[in-house]
Formats: sequence, structure tokens, C-alpha cells
Amino acid sequence: MKHDDQFEQRLRRQPPREVPVGWRNEILSAARIAGLRPSTRDPQTSLFSTLIAQLSTFFRPHSLAWAGLAAVWVVILALQLASRDPTAVAARNMRPLSPEMLMVLRQQKLLLAELVERPEPRAAERPKAHPLRPRSDRCHGIFTA
Amino acid sequence: MPLDLERLYDEHASALFAFLLNFTRDENDTRDVLQEIFIKLARQPDLLANACDERPFLLRLAHNAAIDLMRRRGTRSKHHEQFGAEQLATFASTDDPDEAAFRTELSAALGELPADQRAVVHLKLWAGLTFEEIAATLEIPPNTAASRYRYGLDKLRVRLRPLYDEIK
Repeated sequence: MKHDDQFEQRLRRQPPREVPVGWRNEILSAARIAGLRPSTRDPQTSLFSTLIAQLSTFFRPHSLAWAGLAAVWVVILALQLASRDPTAVAARNMRPLSPEMLMVLRQQKLLLAELVERPEPRAAERPKAHPLRPRSDRCHGIFTA
Repeated sequence: MPLDLERLYDEHASALFAFLLNFTRDENDTRDVLQEIFIKLARQPDLLANACDERPFLLRLAHNAAIDLMRRRGTRSKHHEQFGAEQLATFASTDDPDEAAFRTELSAALGELPADQRAVVHLKLWAGLTFEEIAATLEIPPNTAASRYRYGLDKLRVRLRPLYDEIK
């Protein structure tokens, strides 16, 4: 234990380096100038820069992972665009129909509607009325048949 | 009442410099953070108004500013521990060759410690703070400060024992 205390005391006795002499004037001049001048950063800029700093702190350590994720999204987007339904594009590019064609289509639609509505619904068959009688009678009828 | 920046610098700059140099292991970063602290004090003279003791308060400012700087550097902070192991003279030079060798080894051994242990060891040994003050400065529980100190000191002891026994 005494040996440990001596070691600790030995460390404590080592004098740390002094501040370089030239720093005093430089640092105090910079501080005085900054103290005279009001802070020029408006709160919005400050908030924005803080946000950017926070985001960069978050993204930078795993930049490769984020770049990989972004590349995957680009590939997914490209595949999505490549496999889009071509009929939708064709329909969008089609020229408008002529009035004659519209008339024919309208007639066909009316005809189809008539065909669909014409058959009258059949009357549902009425369920056969069974005379009410006790179950024992029904069984008896089966055995005697 | 205007803040006496000169007095603050003369009384505390040495301690702040030593802590920052040991913590950041980079003289440029140390200068940037030290200047940032004094600019902050000049812009907000009331900052020290509620501080019971100036030294721990300023060390806390220094620690937080150094952490912010490391975070802003992003990738660099990732390799902070590795940079810590680089050769850097954190102690005063001396004409005694034994002492000079011990200081060089001690500086290198401190660089090999994790930054959180290095900060506690420095504040305890060279800033003379108690564990309670260290805990308040680094915003950690006092028990954590004590255990980090113990682990850090054990590592230094193992690393420096051959040289220490030789020159004792």
C-alpha cells in the first residue's frame, strides 16, 4: 500500500506543461473582440446549423452503411419504373375518340344494359308445407312403409 | 460588473491547458477549446456568477467544449483513443535524464488510457479535485469517478512499474 502511495505521489509531482506564452495575447484579444461584438448568428441559422451538425454526427460514423442503403433504394426505384404497367402509359398516350365512335360505344352500352336487365327474376318456389305431427308418428310411418 | 478576463486567464489557463492537452492529445485542439472558453466568457459575463468555485466550473466548460469539438470532428472522434496513444509531451521538460524518461513514459502511458479514465486521473492528480468535484465536472456519479481513477491508476502502475522501480 505504501508502495502504491509513493507511486501516486510520484505521479502527482510531475509538473504539467505550461501554456505557450504567445497564446495569452491571442486568446484574450479574440475574446475581447467577440465580447464587444454581439452574436451575429440569428436563432434560425443557429437552429439550422445545430440540426445539420447533429445529423452529420449521426450519419458520418456509418457513411458506408447509409450509402449502401441509398443505393438499394435507387435500385428498387429503377426496378419499379422498369416494371410499370405499359397499358396505363398507352392509355395516356391514346388520341381522343371521334364522336361517331362515341355514339357506337354508347349504343353498345345501352344494348348491354337492356340484355342484363331483361330476364325477370323467377319466383322462388314455396317450401312444401309439412303437416305438423309428433316425431314418433313420422318414425312410425317410415317403418310401416 | 465587467468580467476580468485577464485575471481568469492568469489564474486558470495553465490548469485548463494541462487538462485539455491531456484529454484531447492535440495542441491545436487545446488552443481552439481554450479560446472558445474565453470567448464564451466574454460574451456571457454572467456565466460565472452562480459558480461556487471557478476552477471546477471552468474545467467543466473545458471538458464539454472538448467533447463537442470531438463530436464535430466526426470520424476523428471515432479514432480518438488511437490519437491519444500518439507521442505528445504533456509534462514540463527537465534536465534530469531519469525524470525526463519517466515523464515521456508517463505521457505515453496516459495516452494509452481510455479518454474517460485519462480525464479522471488528470483531474485527481494534477488539478487536485476531489471525487465529488470530478463527478460534478464530468457529470458522472462519484463512484464512477473513483472506479475510473482506480482502473486508470492500475494501468499506469503496470505500464510504468519497470521504469519506476529502476529509477526509484
